[in-house]
Amino acid sequence: MKPDDLKFLIVDDFSTMRRIVRNLLKELGYNNADEAEDGQIALSKLRSGLFNFVVSDINMPNMNGFELLREIRADDQLKKLPVLLVTAEAKKEDIVLAAQIGANGYIVKPFTKATLEEKLTKIVQKMSGST
Amino acid sequence: MAHTGDTEDLEALFDQISSETLARLDAEPAPDAAPAVQAAESGGEAASEQSPEFYQRVGMLTRQLHDALRELGYHQKVEQAVHSLPDTRQRLDYIARLTGQAAERALSNVEKGQEIQDGVEQEGARLSGKWRELYERRLGVDDFKQVAADTNAFLDRTQEDARATQALLTDIMMAQDFHDLTGQVIQKVLKLAQDFEDELVKLLIESTPADKRNAAQSEWMNGPVIDASSRDDVVANQAQVDDLLESLGF
Repeated sequence: MKPDDLKFLIVDDFSTMRRIVRNLLKELGYNNADEAEDGQIALSKLRSGLFNFVVSDINMPNMNGFELLREIRADDQLKKLPVLLVTAEAKKEDIVLAAQIGANGYIVKPFTKATLEEKLTKIVQKMSGST
Repeated sequence: MAHTGDTEDLEALFDQISSETLARLDAEPAPDAAPAVQAAESGGEAASEQSPEFYQRVGMLTRQLHDALRELGYHQKVEQAVHSLPDTRQRLDYIARLTGQAAERALSNVEKGQEIQDGVEQEGARLSGKWRELYERRLGVDDFKQVAADTNAFLDRTQEDARATQALLTDIMMAQDFHDLTGQVIQKVLKLAQDFEDELVKLLIESTPADKRNAAQSEWMNGPVIDASSRDDVVANQAQVDDLLESLGF
């Protein structure tokens, strides 16, 4: 799968973090991305647009990342969508919960470009293998 | 970036559970978990040298206050609020540390970048001068060979310098993640401060004589203080607190 075939949705309530993730994706060759500031907005964008990948924060107002992930996994159209959680929540129970409800990856902030690249590549490779 | 010792264990754990979950993606989603919060106990006493009546009066007031607090259930809330202060100090300390580190990181990278760009500019200017001399036929064959070799090396180095500058710019960008991290902590501190203020104000109203209480209550309670949008308006809130304290004779 080529980088430009993937359309990303970056979900974070902090605009600076959305910009950081967007710029990092661009540096990694993924130029196609849109943004949402919470889970609710993300969900409506996901339902109306053709996204292939979600990079989401957890701690957000209105609908947090866990709730968003549950909604995605419960939606027939969206349930196979890869979701990478990027969050400041480093508690073990949060990481376990994320895995239990179907996150494809979990990155703890602050993170590096190399970490994002490693997790993304792993997920993208699995996507390419399964499609 | 530094990693803690158990990061790899957690990653392995995550990968294991995640792959199991994703393997049975068509099955129903898992239930939620909730974190627990708890409070602690404390106590304190004070004394001074005055007349026996003074002692008696202070003692009586203290007892009344103590009983009133207990009766109203505020002693625990105030205790909780007091116990949250060291935590708040730690959080503020974290913000100061993180913003400081981010500023240092950005500034160091800017300094390194400036150094690289200065080098490019100086060598570019020097070579440009040499090529001008060449076009004006003021250079011999040996000089020309040297200029050609230097120019070739400069072109190679410029690519390296551009990559190094790009890496510094990325690092400056990554340093801005403090905004997200400190922002979340600031929101928690604001919530603590708001809860603390709310409890103290309620306590003030309850401990105000009945005849003054209605006026004080209506004055304070009319304001939508708990509204999130008014929360960052610290001056207005403080003015309301000051007004209330004044109306109560404090």
